[in-house]
Amino acid sequence: MQSLNEQQIDFILGDIHARGVRLESLQYDLLDHVCVLIEQQLEKEEDFEQCYEATIRAFYRQELREIEEETIFLLACRNRLTLSRNQFFVLLFTIFIGPFVSYDLVWLVTSGPTAGWNIPLHIWAPTVVYSLFPLLILLVLLLTPERLDPLIPVKSKVLLGIRPFIKIIPHFSKSQVADV
Amino acid sequence: MNYSTELIKGTLKTIILKLLADNKKMYGYEITQKVKELTLDRIQITEGALYPTLHALEADKLVTTETEYIGKRIRKYYSLSPTGKAQAREKVKELASFMDTMISLLDIKPKMT
Repeated sequence: MQSLNEQQIDFILGDIHARGVRLESLQYDLLDHVCVLIEQQLEKEEDFEQCYEATIRAFYRQELREIEEETIFLLACRNRLTLSRNQFFVLLFTIFIGPFVSYDLVWLVTSGPTAGWNIPLHIWAPTVVYSLFPLLILLVLLLTPERLDPLIPVKSKVLLGIRPFIKIIPHFSKSQVADV
Repeated sequence: MNYSTELIKGTLKTIILKLLADNKKMYGYEITQKVKELTLDRIQITEGALYPTLHALEADKLVTTETEYIGKRIRKYYSLSPTGKAQAREKVKELASFMDTMISLLDIKPKMT
């Protein structure tokens, strides 16, 4: 089997880097894989560059750095709860509104039978106020075009866990990348 | 018959762990070829799925790596850690149980060959 020379190996490594793969460990994995495939191909074809282009093209759908994005995503997902943007807001607002709704329910159960089931203003007013604000924010977010939402873009994923507690992955391309 | 991406994606970790359990240490290309060979080309693991999974397994300390120079380039060999060996057994057991459940659920009659 024909082995690639140092110049060709440097060219491949440089190209992998130029295509956006920055993780050194992943670069070595890809370099070795590409080299093995090319060395096999060079037994049939002679043109290295043509052979390289055809080989590297089979590694991705749109761009080679998809592999790195997928790697980073999987590493970030470890020991984390993965939520869609909408799930995240539902959770967030549940945490905000939940105590008030719970307080109302507790009041209903404990004082409802004696007070005639009419919840007094000082009990329900905070619930309404604290429900309206988050719902208003949610409405604004849902109506905001993606390009104007710098915090959590529409298709992003929110990861909850330690270090850091909240991590947002804006360009979630898992389904496109991990094409087995 | 080629299997759907979803089916293979869900079993990729198990496939890799089992292969490493059976083959001591392997490098990326070797894993893809072994899968092709064992499945008679019915399952082909792409690089885009293989390496992110291997790196995630490494981060989870289920696999360990060692490097070897092949001329100027570095070849990374992956092998199972003690935790990885236990996980491989568990994953295979889980998948076998899942397949039994699916056979029963979908009323699939096993082929007599």
